[in-house]
Amino acid sequence: MTEQKTTAPAIEVEDLWQVFGENAQTALRDARGAGTDASTAQALKDKGLIPAVRAANFEVKSGELFVIMGLSGSGKSTLIRCISRLIEPTAGSVRIDGEDILQADEKRLIELRRHKLGMVFQHFGLFPHMTVADNVGFPLKMQGMGKAERRARALEVLDLVDLKGREDTYPRNLSGGQRQRVGIARSLAVNPDIWFLDEPFSALDPLIRRQLQDEFLNIQATLKKSIVFITHDIQEALKLADRIAIMKDGEVVQIGTPEEIVLHPVNDYVAEFSKDVPKGRHGCVENVMTQDIPENMPDDPGLKVGMTIETALAKCMSLYEPVPVHDAQGALVGAVNPSDLAAALQAEET
Amino acid sequence: MSIAEEGPVSGQRGLQLSKGGIAAIVVLAVAVICRSFGAQFEWLVAWPAALTVPMTDWVGTVVGGFLDVFKPIARLFSYLLAFPMTWVGGLLGGAPWPLVLGTVTALGWLIGGARMAALAFFGFGFVVISGYWLEGMNTLALVAVSVPLAALLGAGIGILAFEYPKLKGSVNVVLDVMQTMPTFAYLTPLLVLFGFGPVVGLIASAIFAAPPMARNVLLGLERVEPEIREAAVMAGGTRRQQLFLVELPAASQQIMIGFNQCLMAALSMVIIAAVIGGFEDIGWEVLLTMRKALFGPAFLAGSVIVVFAVVIDRMSAALAEPRPAQDKRVAATIFAIGAAVAVWAAVAEWNPAGFAAMDGVAEAVDQGVGQFTASYGTNLDALKNSAMFYGLLPLRIGLSDAVLPFTWGFAWTATHTFVFYAVFAAISGLMVLRGHVAGAGFVMIAAMVLEIGVAQLPWPILIGGVAALGWVASGRKLALQVTLLLGLILISGLWERALLSLYLSGAAVAACALVGGFLGFWSAMSPRAWLVIRPICDTLQTIPLFVFLIPVLMFFQIGEFSAFLAICMYAVVPMVRYTRHGLITTPDEMIEAATASGAGRWQTMLEVRAPYAAPTILLGLNQTILYAFAMLVIAALIGTTGLGQSIYLALGQADVGLGVTAGAAMAILALVADRLVQGFAEERRQALGL
Repeated sequence: MTEQKTTAPAIEVEDLWQVFGENAQTALRDARGAGTDASTAQALKDKGLIPAVRAANFEVKSGELFVIMGLSGSGKSTLIRCISRLIEPTAGSVRIDGEDILQADEKRLIELRRHKLGMVFQHFGLFPHMTVADNVGFPLKMQGMGKAERRARALEVLDLVDLKGREDTYPRNLSGGQRQRVGIARSLAVNPDIWFLDEPFSALDPLIRRQLQDEFLNIQATLKKSIVFITHDIQEALKLADRIAIMKDGEVVQIGTPEEIVLHPVNDYVAEFSKDVPKGRHGCVENVMTQDIPENMPDDPGLKVGMTIETALAKCMSLYEPVPVHDAQGALVGAVNPSDLAAALQAEET
Repeated sequence: MSIAEEGPVSGQRGLQLSKGGIAAIVVLAVAVICRSFGAQFEWLVAWPAALTVPMTDWVGTVVGGFLDVFKPIARLFSYLLAFPMTWVGGLLGGAPWPLVLGTVTALGWLIGGARMAALAFFGFGFVVISGYWLEGMNTLALVAVSVPLAALLGAGIGILAFEYPKLKGSVNVVLDVMQTMPTFAYLTPLLVLFGFGPVVGLIASAIFAAPPMARNVLLGLERVEPEIREAAVMAGGTRRQQLFLVELPAASQQIMIGFNQCLMAALSMVIIAAVIGGFEDIGWEVLLTMRKALFGPAFLAGSVIVVFAVVIDRMSAALAEPRPAQDKRVAATIFAIGAAVAVWAAVAEWNPAGFAAMDGVAEAVDQGVGQFTASYGTNLDALKNSAMFYGLLPLRIGLSDAVLPFTWGFAWTATHTFVFYAVFAAISGLMVLRGHVAGAGFVMIAAMVLEIGVAQLPWPILIGGVAALGWVASGRKLALQVTLLLGLILISGLWERALLSLYLSGAAVAACALVGGFLGFWSAMSPRAWLVIRPICDTLQTIPLFVFLIPVLMFFQIGEFSAFLAICMYAVVPMVRYTRHGLITTPDEMIEAATASGAGRWQTMLEVRAPYAAPTILLGLNQTILYAFAMLVIAALIGTTGLGQSIYLALGQADVGLGVTAGAAMAILALVADRLVQGFAEERRQALGL
């Protein structure tokens, strides 16, 4: 399982609403009299307003990679813009390291963005009139850092994203993948604690996308940022996430680890997403393990807690009797019937 | 990668010269030589008279001979054209005003519902009570005949250029010349060709109004989606069917935009054409009252022109937009009411030519202006004089000549010159140390121009400077082109007058760039400011050129300063619009990236929006320059020297040679400025990867 830190959450989002339309704030206040969130949203829609984010509630733990997943129009881009306050949420609160940033004034917000927050954009958002190094050094320039220092730091982060030697080219001379590396480098220039990524790899070719995903995981392994990552690609979400929030029509429908999403979808909408996902790779032995241990288990293929179903099945291909499962310390914690493993894999094909 | 190598050389040791740096140094060297040895070698300053070609005479002979050949045909054409003119004139002038008012209001209803109907009713209602009904209708009759001519001509040119892509290049050049050639300039040959009479104004306005139509037809046709085109081909249409049944209708919106511009240009020109002698039209009325310094009537007649312009513009612009169909019965009712009143008026013999109900207003305006100038005359004069003595005059003849004891309080001596150059040399020296070689050279050259004066600038500096700009903006080809074009003016003997024109339009453009740039910037920062500035821009852009002369004359009399103000008022609009547009159309993602990087409002504006807007702002500057040149010639009516004056004089004397040559020189100046700025805009666009 993922490591759970005990420190305070990096981001807490509480009852966040984003409604588009005229007099959204009053309309929302009135509509909330309607009771449930669903009826509030319906009341707003009836008035011709658009509830793009509805009562979002979640936490991102420090050092956690939190993925928000949804189809286009589901409100995920709006949500991340609310959290980074690129747009003003209609109601609710967003706390970053305990500080309610919706209350922060313009000055404080600029302060936060200059030191604590970094963001990567889907279409890169690079400045065409600046060189790669100037683009990366831009947030530092905003802080008032000197030219030489900026360049030194820019080269440092460019090295991190494997773009050494391209610092004096212009964005137009780079490929899409290279451009997004620049975007990533720029967002890391100020060494932020919180890292927002808005569909960073969606505009890239599949091959380049996978390569950047791997590099991104490498970078995260060393930097340990608290991340909000937006994507519409379930494979990407499952590959990267510590936890995933699934959004539909502005509503967060399920939050959970990749396994939970794949193996225990809360409704058909979520299940539909994971339909094509090879569950064997995301489900673990304990998902099909029973506590009720048979007295006699002749074979022990060496199944352990945390092993994926796929691996486990490979180990007991020829067995028919239940087999024991041990935890990391070697203690017996349960048993698995090989046929259940196979059944778990079968499920995906229906 | 080559572009990247040309980029800024920040962070590198040693001085690596950019293209701009080399150009600046070369021009500076030329300037220093001219300044130092100008006294000994006069040919360094003024082009020797011995090498001047009698261009005006040659052009006069050639064009004159050419005109003589075509005169009979032209006269026949003129004779034929007089028929529709008399008919339409008789129709509009003879029709009782209630009928015309009813018709126009009904038309307004059909085009844009109650709002347009109200605009038409009140607009034309104002003309009825202004006392200029007959003059107004005469002007409208001219527009009504010239616009179909211009629209057909323009559409024909546009379709031709589209059907035969090989022609496109040359058609564009012809359109450029038609538009940059000052309006007064082709009045002279037309006068010779068609003889005195309203037909000249008609033809001039058709020539002037055709290019926008042609350009928009071409643009519209080019923008028709390929799939629509292909669908027409696959449906088995002949080329003619494809064009007339599919492509032209598909391009109709763009074509209507062209029609709107065509209408406005025709109106503007019809009014200007009054300078060749009027026949009871509204332009003549303005000119006449202005010459007599009757500001009240001039103001009133000018207002009639503005009202016509606004009504025609808004109604034809509405045609270009998708709009809901209006109830035809309402239109019919309005028309019927108009007709009924007209019949009743005819029976009762009730004032068919409108009322002169506004004479009181005219008088009040006259008195008001009189009182205002009487009580604030000293202030106005002070304003005018300080602008002249401390701004325009030094620019024209240089600080060394303009600084005189009785204006500045001291005389300019050699010591002043020395200190002046020492200060600027120090500034540019500092800039060189910080790596801005091109900027330093530019500052130094600007200082020299200021000391010498634009009108006295030695020709090698100007031609060398312009060629260098061309080289930096685009390359060797442009540099060669502008050198040749300016060389033509140089050897034609019109050089000094060209310098005078250059100085005044240059001063106006500089003022427009500053004021317009600021207003555009302000409008971009504050939507509320735009709410105020926008309608002013709209109005200024609708008003025909001619009308700008009235207010400046009222307050500042005849003179260079009045001309300067009129030019500024007309030419500032594109600068405001393009600056604002450029600044607010930065892609959202770039703004978000800047915000997420912790950029404040001002930082975003300066670091991201402004550089991104640079090409758009340059296009605005380009428009401003062209507008300034167009107005410069009109401003000759109220006292400018230079080419504009020559063109105007030529018109009075029917001197074809002078008129055409001076007009061509003016067009060359405009064309050179246009190419240079376009070159820089293109260079910026490429640098931004757009």
